[in-house]
Amino acid sequence: MSRLPRWARVGLLGGFIVIYLGAVGMLESFSARPIVTGVIQFSVVLIAVVYMSSGYLAARPGKDELESNPRRSAPLAGVVAGALVGVFVIAMTLLAEAGYNPRDMFIAINPALLDILTFGQSIWAGLVIEVVLGGVLGLAASYLYTSSPNTRSIVVTTLTTVVMVALAAPLFTVMFDGLGIPDSWLFQREGLTVIGAIVVATATAFLKWYLLKTGGARKAMLQVPKVTEKNINLTLWLAAGVVLTVLPWIVNTFISDVLGTVGLYILLGLGLNIVVGYAGLLDLGYVAFFAVGAYSIAVLTANTSFLVGGTVNAPAAEGFMNFWVALPITIVIAVIIGVLIGAPVLRLRGDYLAIVTLGFGEIIRTLVLSDWLKPYLGGPQGITQIPPPPLGPLNTRDPRILYYLILAFVVISFFIATRLKYSRVGRAWAAMREDEDVAEGMGISVVLYKILAFVMGAAVGCLGGAFFATKLSVANPGSFTLLVSINVLAVVVLGGMGSIPGVIVGSLVLVGLPELLREFGEFRLHIYGIILVAIMLLKPEGLIPDARRARELHHEDEEPITDVAHVAIAGGHE
Amino acid sequence: MSHLLELEGVSKSFGGVHAVVDVDFHADPGEIVGVIGPNGAGKTTLFNVVTGFYSPDAGSMTFDGHNISGLKPNALTRLGMARTFQAVRLFDNMTVIENAMVGRHTRTSAGVWGALSHNKKTVQEEQDITREATRALSFFGNRLVGRENELASDLAYADRRRLEIARAMVTGPKLLLLDEPAAGMNPAEKDGLIEQIGRLRDERGYSIVLIEHDMPVIKSVSDRVVALDHGEKIAEGTYDEVASNPQVIEAYLGKAAAAKETSL
Repeated sequence: MSRLPRWARVGLLGGFIVIYLGAVGMLESFSARPIVTGVIQFSVVLIAVVYMSSGYLAARPGKDELESNPRRSAPLAGVVAGALVGVFVIAMTLLAEAGYNPRDMFIAINPALLDILTFGQSIWAGLVIEVVLGGVLGLAASYLYTSSPNTRSIVVTTLTTVVMVALAAPLFTVMFDGLGIPDSWLFQREGLTVIGAIVVATATAFLKWYLLKTGGARKAMLQVPKVTEKNINLTLWLAAGVVLTVLPWIVNTFISDVLGTVGLYILLGLGLNIVVGYAGLLDLGYVAFFAVGAYSIAVLTANTSFLVGGTVNAPAAEGFMNFWVALPITIVIAVIIGVLIGAPVLRLRGDYLAIVTLGFGEIIRTLVLSDWLKPYLGGPQGITQIPPPPLGPLNTRDPRILYYLILAFVVISFFIATRLKYSRVGRAWAAMREDEDVAEGMGISVVLYKILAFVMGAAVGCLGGAFFATKLSVANPGSFTLLVSINVLAVVVLGGMGSIPGVIVGSLVLVGLPELLREFGEFRLHIYGIILVAIMLLKPEGLIPDARRARELHHEDEEPITDVAHVAIAGGHE
Repeated sequence: MSHLLELEGVSKSFGGVHAVVDVDFHADPGEIVGVIGPNGAGKTTLFNVVTGFYSPDAGSMTFDGHNISGLKPNALTRLGMARTFQAVRLFDNMTVIENAMVGRHTRTSAGVWGALSHNKKTVQEEQDITREATRALSFFGNRLVGRENELASDLAYADRRRLEIARAMVTGPKLLLLDEPAAGMNPAEKDGLIEQIGRLRDERGYSIVLIEHDMPVIKSVSDRVVALDHGEKIAEGTYDEVASNPQVIEAYLGKAAAAKETSL
């Protein structure tokens, strides 16, 4: 491979990626999604992105080269990628004609895919189209490569925004309908209209250009007289508050429901963030607390619970207690479980801790599945008919009302997480995360603070479980698999370990997006993988990395220290 | 007169390696004690035993009237012992001021409730912590002041050493144990360190025990010097006494060279 020139290698890689995307079914699935209705589909955008990326990478000199010729290598890479795709289509067609049907193995390599890749033409014309397409996009990429960073930034932002807006079209349509704004000029059948695309592109390009010129939104605002940093922050918080409050009424109940799920993951994420992000204890069994929260609420409030002698077929008149009485008890139970899990793993660090917590997560799941606890926890069936939380006259089965409830608890948890982080306790955790021995040497009881981290993580995480159970009105072992632990950890890592806004963005990206973009749902794990690998390569500290908060400091003596005095005081200079 | 720190017959082995053998050691209030010895003599092990990172196999240890055998490092910090490490070990992803603030942990008490409620006591306590930390940072002139919000990992090497001492100061110690504080410093920085160690005793009233390979530093600051070799105490006294002790010369230079040295 290394004998081949760089453009050829990158081109082949691009071609393989397009073939891969086709073979797993993404292209066919995404071809149903218009970006600009009647003009271009998402599948074509995806292919174009791959070709352009190949061209861009080829334009960049390799590790052992000093410079490259972008105008030559970028189009060549595009051509190679396109040619590979074209040849693939021809090969598949010939194979099928010879009686070896590739569909026997790859169900997605079917005429529909080949149709997409040939743009509906014959296979030979398709080859020409792909090669030309690759060459043209590669050439475009080379111009992008040689352009100034500002131009590049504007072009990339504009194109990305158009695609994003188009993908979110169903969401926007619902919102515009809710607000009563006519939108047929902008959106048409799940995609943008031609005019809509032009409007979005122009607006984005102008905004980006303006922001680049003025040095960012914050700076631009600060140039307006009487606007201070504090005012901007206040405005942003108020705006966020207003948006979050009116959101359920401008979107439909389905999206409110999705937002509720995102909220649950934020609760779980904030809890796990305390354990992993603050205290640095890699917990792979966090689902345990999720399960404890859900089952505690189920046993305490469901009318099918053993506590009131009810069964699925013969439920009792009502549950053992009210949700709001049960919630504090649930937290207490989770805290006890937190101590029980925390105590045995105190002496373990890093990988060992991860493996043991992984085991605890599975133990909890196996326990709720067991015959032993079946009379109490319902075995594989779980506990059903969990009532919604009573809230005066409000119907909390309505996803919108439940949204507000979850939002309220997210806000409380957000507050708790923030306050803890910037406190003596938070500093002790951070010190422990950085260097356990030295933290102990500085007087921090590692035993106490490890257990405290598990306890606080459990208390916040069990809220997620409690609302999950009432939201679904069932708690059964199927919901508490290892995958939940992994998803929550992915939320925390993607957002940025220890970062509170990171948890929110992580939940929106990993939980909200796949729910909203149903075509993505099918490829959720694929996209998880791609996003996580990309993030770890490009932004290993996460989407919104944790920034240590700068402190306002007041020095006792504000006298300027002269250089001579400095030498005298510090007793040396470098 | 009781000693601030007193060790009697302390031993520590790792498998067959006798790292510290039957060592008697003491430090008095306001005293600066230098600990010297060739590499592998057991100096750092002795520190680790004293500060609770290792528990001794035998012997008794008292500090400020308390029996400290088997106490954990955090308990010893509470009693008034603070240390630095041979290889600087800061909390790299925390800011300079936060590193120092962590040192105040044992002298404060706010817990989860204080953190959540921000009650009067906690707010007051946080102010005290910040003030203590700032005071310790200003001990080093403007080397650390003005850089409070930078990450500890961004500091230059000598400043990292200084921050480590500042962090130890914030714990409010009676005894400060410095493990090779001059390692990697240039001559000017070493001069500064000598002056600072003196001030730590004179202004702050700390007793100081320091391990150091740099003999000029040991000579300048130490009231008393203890030499270790193969885990055993081989000499004790003023710098000049210890430096002229044949056993010490032998330990540093080897038997043959020592014989040559004395015959000259």
